[in-house]
This record gives sequence, structure tokens and C-alpha cells, in this order.
Amino acid sequence: MKKTKTLLTCLTAVVMTASIFVGCGSSNTNTSKAKTDASAKTALTVWHYFDGQQQQKAMENLADKFNKSQDKIEVEVEFVPRAELTKQFTIGLVADKLPDLGLVDNPDMASFAAMGLFADISDKMNSYEGKDQFYPGPISSCKLDGKYYGIPLGSNDLALFYNKDMFSAAGVEPPTTYAELKTTAKKLTKGDTYGLAISAPKNEEGTFQYLPWLLSSGAKFNEIGSPAGISSLQYLTDLIKDGSMSKEVINWTQNDLEKQFVTNKAAMITDGPWIIDTIKKDAPNLKWGVVKIPKDKVFASDLGGENWGVIKGHHEDAAWEFIKFTQQKDIMNEYCADFGYIPSRKDIAESNDKITKDPIMSVFLDELQYAMPRGPHAKWPEISDAMSTAMQESFTNAKTPEQAAKDAQVKIDTVLK
Amino acid sequence: MEIILKNKYSREFISEERKGYLFVLPALIFMLAFVGYPIIYNFILSFRDVNVTTFSNPIKPFVGLKNYIDVFQDPTMMISIKNTLVFTLGSISIQFVIGLGLALLFNLKFKLSEPIRGLMVVSYLIPMTVTALLFKFMYSTSGGIINEVLMQCHLISEPIGWIIDSKTSMFSVILTNSWVGIPFNMLLLTTGLSNISDTLYEAGKVDGANVFQRFFKITLPSLRPAILSVLVLGFIYTFKVFDLVFVMTNGGPVNSTELMSSFAYKLSFTQFSFSKGATVANVLFAILFCVSLGYLKLIKEDEVIG
Repeated sequence: MKKTKTLLTCLTAVVMTASIFVGCGSSNTNTSKAKTDASAKTALTVWHYFDGQQQQKAMENLADKFNKSQDKIEVEVEFVPRAELTKQFTIGLVADKLPDLGLVDNPDMASFAAMGLFADISDKMNSYEGKDQFYPGPISSCKLDGKYYGIPLGSNDLALFYNKDMFSAAGVEPPTTYAELKTTAKKLTKGDTYGLAISAPKNEEGTFQYLPWLLSSGAKFNEIGSPAGISSLQYLTDLIKDGSMSKEVINWTQNDLEKQFVTNKAAMITDGPWIIDTIKKDAPNLKWGVVKIPKDKVFASDLGGENWGVIKGHHEDAAWEFIKFTQQKDIMNEYCADFGYIPSRKDIAESNDKITKDPIMSVFLDELQYAMPRGPHAKWPEISDAMSTAMQESFTNAKTPEQAAKDAQVKIDTVLK
Repeated sequence: MEIILKNKYSREFISEERKGYLFVLPALIFMLAFVGYPIIYNFILSFRDVNVTTFSNPIKPFVGLKNYIDVFQDPTMMISIKNTLVFTLGSISIQFVIGLGLALLFNLKFKLSEPIRGLMVVSYLIPMTVTALLFKFMYSTSGGIINEVLMQCHLISEPIGWIIDSKTSMFSVILTNSWVGIPFNMLLLTTGLSNISDTLYEAGKVDGANVFQRFFKITLPSLRPAILSVLVLGFIYTFKVFDLVFVMTNGGPVNSTELMSSFAYKLSFTQFSFSKGATVANVLFAILFCVSLGYLKLIKEDEVIG
């Protein structure tokens, strides 16, 4: 009897506590497999996480065009918030509640491919005539262990936006080297205006913003603890100590940078081409330009953008048809313009006058040749976490740049070993 | 004693008891399926090595205690345990003290006490994510109402980075969580207060007890069961808070608000180290399990006394 009582007590305690696990349940009932159109069309569900209005419209536009172009496949686009998308992809792998096609941020591609989410499309790729047209960065982010798991949607990278009025008022030119940047930033810092702003939150966005500085020092993505790597962290930390960069950067997103820029609180920001339209809308009278991120030893930027991933075991062939449709010149140019992205294909990007002849987009195109993919490595999220943590520790004086970089190196080495 | 035991285990008694279990059975099966399964799954997961590279393997190797050792060697784990304790104890004490104060206030039954008490509960009804976003805006350094008001009153000269400074972020998150928890404390304590018979106070007055004596000798002891429930339930709810921190700070800046729950989420769904995420969740579970057991034991003692 005593045993039963104890058991019951334990059960009650378990129930009281257990709701920590329940929150992870999936509420998504939409399974692509279950959906087949009455008219024998193949229904193809596509997931994306773009929350901008223009981008969502571009996605739907793309699906509409494809649906009208043929009568075998019906594409349906679904928006899933980014954090939810990542979660659903991993839970979906167990519960098999997945779409047919998904868009993922390029550094996440390798992780999901390694987990078996995406189909190996090497055969399809090898017989595809457009295969050699991709820029090396974007296409290598689609590969893992020599196999293709995806195809780039579009690319972007970081460059330095600068406020022309502030520059002429201070009598300075856009900087091209680290040393120039340091003095320029100092000169431009006045009142509540900071010379430079970057975004350094403790997540992938922070790592994305840090990598150009790391790579420019001559270090590779896995060498933050090397003397060159330490110097890059030291350089950024010094900018904060000089007062040329705000301490608040550790909480700013790249969208916050745009707000700092248009309200004249930052004379220079590092941001991507997707922000151009927002700047034009927020501050139509602002005079600004874009140059490459100043270099330490080499010019560097890192690659942003999404990849299409075909979900394994679903309508793989139909998904491939849709992807091929998006790769046509006019179509790609149109949606990339809506996204503020650069087409990931040489043949398309370099024949588009709106990119090559535009004083701003051409800088991003130029920067794309230096843009390194993040990884690709299945455990990139852990590597990334080590770097963004180091940046925060160093910027908040929790550790010296050297210590923070070395600690991050230890974590990265454990992941890579 | 012998006789009582015999009676207790007589045939009729047992069949009565069996009937009782039969009624509980459906609920028990439901619980085992929907509560028991995730717990067991999580438990097994924490002894295997499941991460990005082994996720798609058909056989996931058992690694014994390796995940537990790894997790406890991770400095973030220690920080998150410490943060979770600070967060929980901080939140509970603030919300308990204010909740008790409000319960006593509304127990005075003045005009409008009922509707105002009803309004107070609103903060408990608002979804946590909404509260989190609200406070995030209020704490903002550019245009956040808290900084604006403090600056207008000339109490501070420049905005305080409530949730972006690692020194104040924990305090700000605790304050937000307390705002949510106060009505819960107030409601439970009010119920407790209404159960105290007025004759006790009258007797106290007759014996010449002053306000403080009446509070400490009559109110508090009579409230014991209610206080116990509030504190333990509060502990359990607060200890596993996730959404608030996830939305407000996402554990930052520099891990200063990283709780065990958010750390477990991060390990599982950002870094895809599912086993380590499960391990952290299990540690969290173990701690809460002990607290729950203690609570049930205390309740039992109370019932015996009662």
C-alpha cells in the first residue's frame, strides 16, 4: 500500500512539473503529403520565413506565375516565422509534417542536410545546364561532402553605407583601410552621432556582421584565436573604447542599424542590399553612398541569402520543376529586385544593367566576389555561437579581446575536431 | 492496531478502493501517453548522442553520462542555473510581498474593491509574449516610457539600458515577471484570507492584541496553507519560464538573463544538440520534481494537522 501511495505521489509531482516538455508540441496540422488537388494536380507546399511585405508578395508572385505557366503542379506558399520554421523542420523530421520545398538561410543548409531533411539532388544538378553559372560562394553553401542539397535563391553581402553630408561637413573621404576607418569614425563622432555602427547581437546575425572583420584580418572562419583573429576583435573593441561606436551595438539588429543611419545617429553602418529600399523610404532626402568594407589585409565580406532545399521523400521532382522555373533570367531578376538581393548566377547578375550600372548595387555585386560562405559545416550554429559570444564578451568588457577570442577558439576546436 | 489493519484490508474495502482506481484510470492513461511519453523520451535522449551529424542515423549510440558531464562543464550551464535561481527567488519574493499586500488591502472590502481587484487580474490574463513585447518597448532606451518618465522627472540624465545592459537586465526581467505573477498571488491569498473566521480577530481584539500582533499571530498562521501553495506553485511556474525571456532578451546580453529553459531551447533548436538540450531540460525537471515532492509532503502534513 505504501508503495502505491509513493507511486501516486510521484505521478502527481511529475504531472505538476511536466508542462516544461509539453510546450514543444507541434501545432501544425498541414502536411503536404495529405494534400492532393481534386483535379489531379500535384500540390506543392513551399515554406519561407520572409516577414517583409514586399518579400512575401514576391514569393506569392513567383508561385502565381509558375501555377499559370503549366497545369501539372500547384504551388502554395506558406509563411512560417523563422524560429518556428527551424523548430518545425527538426520536429517535422520525426513527425513527418513537412512541406515539399523549404527556404533556409544558407549557413543552416549544412545542418539540415546532415540531419537528413533535404534530398540529395546531385543527379539533377549534374545534368542541369545552369550548374556552372553560380557564384562559387552561394553554390558551395548548398553542398555538403561533395553532394548538392540545394540551390541558391539569391545572395546578398555586407558593405559600408555612409552619410555623404556628414562626410563633406567633416571634410573626409570614405575610408578604405582599417586605419582610415578608425580616424574617420573618430572625426565623425559628435554629440549623439556615432562614427560607425555595426550589429552584434548574440546570434547568427552578430556572427554575420563580425565575419568581414575577421576574414579581412587574414584569419579563416575557424581561426578567431589566431593573432590575426584577436586583432580583429581588438580593433572593433577599440572603436567602442574610442567612443566611435556605441556600446549598444550588442543589442542592435541590422534593421536597427538602418534606423540609426536615417536618424543621423550613425555616420556609417555595415548593412546589406535588402535595406536600401527602407532607407529610401524612411529618409528620401538623405544623401548617402555605399563602399566596400575597409580592409585590414584583404577585402572581405560574407555571404548572405537563402537556398531552396527539396524535402526528402516528398514531391521531389515537382519541387525541382519549380526551382528550375525560378532560375530563368527575367523571373530571377524580378524577384531578386523585390527582395533587394543579387542573383546568385553570374550570367544573370552581370547582364542586369540595374545591378552593374547602379552605383550602389554594383558595390554589392563587386563585394560578392569576396563574400565567403559561412562554413559550410553541419555544426555551423555552434561555431557561430562561439564567435558571437566572444564579440559580446569583448564589447562589454566581460573579457579582454584576447581572452574572449581564445575561449571561442577552444569551443570551435572542440566542434571541428 | 491489528484489528484496524484487518478491517482496512477486508475484501469490501479493497474492492471499494479498486473502484476508485478504475475511475482514475482514463485520466492516468491519458497522462501516461501525453506526459509520460515525452518525459521518458527526453530521458532516453539525454543518454544518447543525438546531434546534427547523428540525427539521421538509424542507431543512436548510448553514451552514458557524457552529455551530463559535457553540460555541467559548459560555463553557460552554471550561469543559467544561477540565473534561474536568482530569477525565481527574486520574482517570487517581489510578487509574494506585493500580492499579499494587495490581498490584505482588498480584504478591507471598501467601495470599488471588487472591480479594482478584477482589473488587477488583467496582467495575469495577457499572454506572456504580449507582456514581454510591451515591457521591451517600455524599457527601450530610445523613447521607452520608463526612461522618458525618469528623465522628465530629472531622476536620471541619460536613458538606462534596462534590458541591454547586463547589469540591469536580470532585474528588469524579474520586474516584468513579477508584474505577471502578482495577481496570481493576490487571488490565492485572498481566498485564504476569506477563510479566516472573523471570530478569531474579535477574540484577539478582546484579548488586547494590536494590529501587528493580530497579523503575525492570527493572519499569517491561518494563511499557512495558502502561502505554501502560492510559494511552491509560484516556484514551479517561475522556474520554467521561457517565453518571457525568449522574447525580451533571448538570454542576453552576454548570457546575463540566460535561464535553464532558454538554454535548453537554444541547445536543441539553434545548435541542434538535441541530447544536450534534453539533458538541461532533465536537470530542470529533476529540480522541480524534488520541489513538487516536498510540496506534496508538506500538504499532507498540513492535512494531518487540519
